[in-house]
Amino acid sequence: MIKAVRAAGAVAAVMAGAAVAQDRSDGGRRAFEAGRYDEAISLLGAVADRGDENAARLLGRALAIVGRYADAEQRLRAYLAAHSDARTLWLPLGDVLRDRGRLADAELAYGRAAAPPGPDSLVAALRLAEIKEQRGEGSAARRDYRRFITAYNAATRLSSEELAAVARAVRHLGREDPQLFKDALRAYDDAVRADSGNLDARVEQGDLFLDKYNGTDARATYEAVLKINPNHPAAILGLARAARFEGSPEAAARARKSLEVNARYVPALVFVAQLELEREAYAEARERIAQALEINPASLEALSLLAATDFLEGDSSGFQKTVARIASAHPRYAPVYTTLADVTGRTRRYHRALEFAGQAVALDSASWRGYSLMGVNQLRLGQMAEARKSLETAFVGDPYDVWTKNTLDLLDNLDRFEGTRTARFRVWAAPAEAELLALYAGPLAEEAYDSLAARYRFQPTPPVRVEVYDRDADFSVRTVGLVGLGALGVSFGPVVAMDSPSAREPGQFHWGSVLWHEVAHTFHLGLTDARVPRWFTEGLAVFEERRARPGWGDDVTPGFLVAFLEKRLVPVSQLNRGFTSPDYPEQLGYSYYQASLVCDFIAAEHGLDALRALLQQFRQGRSSAQAFQSVLGSELDAFDGRFDVYLRRRFATPLGALRPLPEADARAHPGLEELVRRARRAPDDFHAQFLAGQAAFAGKQLDAAEPFLVRAKQLFPEYAGVDSPSWYLAQIYRQRGARAQAVAELEALTAINAGHYPALLALAALRDSLGQKAQAARALEAALYVYPFEIPVHLRLAELAAELGWWPLGVRERRAVLALAPVDRAEAHYQLALAYFGSGKLDEARSAVLRALEVAPSFEPAQELLLKIREARRDGDT
Amino acid sequence: MAPFVRPASAQTHVLVVSGVGGDAQFTERFTRWGSDVVDAARQRLAVPEANVTFLAEHPERDTSINGPATKERLEGALREIAERAGPGADVVLVLFGHGSDREAEPRFNLVGPDVTAAELATWLAALKAHRVVVVNTASASGGFVPALAGPGRIVVTATKSGFERNATRFGEYFVRALTAEGAEGADTDKDGRLSVLEAFDYARREVARAYEQEKRLLTEHALLDDDGDGKGSTEPSVTGGDGVLAASVFLTAARAAVAADTSDPEVMRLYARRDSLERRVAELRGAKSSMAVEIYERELEELLVELATTNRAIRQREGKRP
Repeated sequence: MIKAVRAAGAVAAVMAGAAVAQDRSDGGRRAFEAGRYDEAISLLGAVADRGDENAARLLGRALAIVGRYADAEQRLRAYLAAHSDARTLWLPLGDVLRDRGRLADAELAYGRAAAPPGPDSLVAALRLAEIKEQRGEGSAARRDYRRFITAYNAATRLSSEELAAVARAVRHLGREDPQLFKDALRAYDDAVRADSGNLDARVEQGDLFLDKYNGTDARATYEAVLKINPNHPAAILGLARAARFEGSPEAAARARKSLEVNARYVPALVFVAQLELEREAYAEARERIAQALEINPASLEALSLLAATDFLEGDSSGFQKTVARIASAHPRYAPVYTTLADVTGRTRRYHRALEFAGQAVALDSASWRGYSLMGVNQLRLGQMAEARKSLETAFVGDPYDVWTKNTLDLLDNLDRFEGTRTARFRVWAAPAEAELLALYAGPLAEEAYDSLAARYRFQPTPPVRVEVYDRDADFSVRTVGLVGLGALGVSFGPVVAMDSPSAREPGQFHWGSVLWHEVAHTFHLGLTDARVPRWFTEGLAVFEERRARPGWGDDVTPGFLVAFLEKRLVPVSQLNRGFTSPDYPEQLGYSYYQASLVCDFIAAEHGLDALRALLQQFRQGRSSAQAFQSVLGSELDAFDGRFDVYLRRRFATPLGALRPLPEADARAHPGLEELVRRARRAPDDFHAQFLAGQAAFAGKQLDAAEPFLVRAKQLFPEYAGVDSPSWYLAQIYRQRGARAQAVAELEALTAINAGHYPALLALAALRDSLGQKAQAARALEAALYVYPFEIPVHLRLAELAAELGWWPLGVRERRAVLALAPVDRAEAHYQLALAYFGSGKLDEARSAVLRALEVAPSFEPAQELLLKIREARRDGDT
Repeated sequence: MAPFVRPASAQTHVLVVSGVGGDAQFTERFTRWGSDVVDAARQRLAVPEANVTFLAEHPERDTSINGPATKERLEGALREIAERAGPGADVVLVLFGHGSDREAEPRFNLVGPDVTAAELATWLAALKAHRVVVVNTASASGGFVPALAGPGRIVVTATKSGFERNATRFGEYFVRALTAEGAEGADTDKDGRLSVLEAFDYARREVARAYEQEKRLLTEHALLDDDGDGKGSTEPSVTGGDGVLAASVFLTAARAAVAADTSDPEVMRLYARRDSLERRVAELRGAKSSMAVEIYERELEELLVELATTNRAIRQREGKRP
């Protein structure tokens, strides 16, 4: 009895133990599925030790997912050693070995898993085919992939994992038959339908969406996974990739989050390294790549980035070794060259990018990405026909590639553009505005060329192609894939692309200054063989804008100086970061201005030759630190300190008058009385003075506004933004009839900011009203480089030119009026004829007056002019 | 040079209707435009006072307004013109206001019931022996083109269909073409008079320019039909199809009227010479595409020099300065 009781007790204990084990197993699974990996490892470890194969399998996966690859391998092998019949552990073991780059060992493990009729045989067969592909045995791999279609069609029922394997195999085949991508998507749908908890399948589906340029569905898919398991590293990385695809700055933060779950997750390390490379942070990129290769020395993606880093840093021996290492692992691995083409393109070395893309397609004729990169870089180099051919090939191979499609559409649009030649430029613009823009853009580009050629003692190879886009969307397509773009213009070296002033609100941007800026880049890129760092070429280009005309180029703003006071500017030693990965939206603009001030400082301290010498250093592959040491004799860190002192000295007055606005103040909207009270309390506070003046002006209390605005101007005389104190003061003086005072304010304003279109027009009108025709003409001339599409501006400038006897200007302006398609074309032709006649160009005058009379034969003044021209020509002949 | 040119005569009748504004701003605008057209008709087209009728929303506000812009008054005014106007007279009807196209029935908003395009067509049928110009500057006015088109009719609408329902700007620029502010620029062939085609062209271009400068999508596309096919053109021209008739009907006084006043046989001879030269220029221009550029330019210059010399002689004979 007692024995029986004891036996019963033992059975009960065993049953209780089994129940506990089951609880732990279930809890472990739930923890794993919810991303509580440590908890899962703890629970599953205990159950696995008791011989639960399912728990052991899940434990292996949990350990791998947090990067404990060695532990995972050890636990899986231990279990297999103890349980020779355990068939479901070979697949996770193979995965762990594969992720460590031990492909031969992985192959053995997958081979065991693949032996039919095991539960993992189909999935393991896929892994084996992928290893073949990774070794460059593409034909064999594809043969194996095709078997999955047969398996799918033959099977009556496949598990979710098996359906995902089919999807993955079909996706691989899609490279050569893009229609199969749709089948892959369907198979993923089936997989998710079979088991909605198969998060890996859902993430792979997201990857496929992203791979086919569908960022929206990709993001939604990853987000759905993360709702179930917020720590799924691949889903988090997927969101990071989607963010990069969308150009969102959150890509890096997302990728770091993925690494928080698994610091040894190679795809995330590779992705972060890629971002580091894009922002030209080579040391950081190298560190991430080293980490990735330490975990998986066979990672071709990491090796490709290593080759790219070697190349960008000018380490040709390292580059050759890395490329050879990749070739020995996979003799026809095209992505190394598409990676190289991508990063060299992003760092402005378009010739080299084109060569790399060419190497990619030479290795793999189905490298559609290679063809696409060839096309994009040919376009950047002005090889338009070749670009179209490459892009069309890319699009046939990958019809989902929206970038290629958009670029082909852009080329169709460019075919409509009309070109104008000058000595060293070809200016292309939309038909409706080509004639007008050619009058200004061509001569301005030529002037820039002469000026810059003299300064740099260098001449870029003509012709330089200038594309002026009337639709901002087209300009965006032209510049796709470029990081941290100012979004108004871009120079690829032999090609400059920019927005037309018609692409934006009238007077919103200074197109003349932008053109000058981009031509300056063409010089810098040519002079340094495209090795100039982004920050320096941007700063130097803005510096050149300021030297082109008074008021061109960026100028100082309260926001910039407040950012300086709050230490939110990037130190010069890291200024590239301000362009490639700004911390906040305004930082990009601040970095342009800051970099230009660095050039101002260098020119002031060391002379203009120092700037040229720095470019020479960059040409030789020197880093910013090396170039500064060599030319300026200064460490970059020490330069940071000197530059800080320079800024404090240069802007001493406004810096003394600027205080960061408390956040509560920035949100509040105090009334006029309160603002006036504050201004009286703080006579040395720029914002206090300015806000009181601005509010009084808005309330039409001009007399009250004036002293605050005058004081604000005293406190920050360099500020010439659209709403600067001078602008308000000019309006006050104008309304009072104090025209001379208004003129003085507007002259001061536009001398700093010649992009202030209303100020230029107001200045011209005032000068005109004072009978100061030459000054009025100069103000109107300046306004045309901001917005050239208003007929009345051209008409008045033409009249002033005629009154001043400035006939070449008059001719240009009359031609501009005609280019704007006025209703009264006869009058426009007649006025042009008069201007030609005035400048002694009788043939042109004859031609123009004939055009006028062709439209309006009865036009008496034109008839009289025709007779005068005829007489003058006859006199000339005799 | 347009064919069938003839002087604007005392036989021109002008009816201007400023419909319901809906708010003070529109009411003021439509009335002002109507008033400007009435002034232009009297002064620039020299239409006798009795031949000009102006109907508007608030007749009490302006002495030049003859009555309320109601359906009855519009019908009555047209009936009266049909009774009074002699054969061959020009009848010009200009509508300022809002329009609609409910249930595919184009309408113009009046005080009280609106007038439909079909009703207007019925009333205009009485003007068979006349050249009729209808300018409907309202929104959603495109449907008036097929409804009113016919032989001897020039139909202008501010929009190309009933779907363009936003308030239009065509009227503003059409009025400007007739008034001193824009007349000079609108008279593109510089013959001193403004054709319906020139006024249309001026308004159409200026509307497009205004939208472009304001970076707004063009929501009105004006139409002109004068070949009677009921399919208006957005860019009519003198070269054929829509535009030929509109080029020969003038909205300001014609130069030929001055010529008719002279009794000097030498001046008459010079005028005839000038007319002949102008015709030859027009013929040459028509043949331009089939000629070598240099030959065309030379012949054009010769003709134009002769024309200029003739004009100079006319001015000298008449004691005028160029």
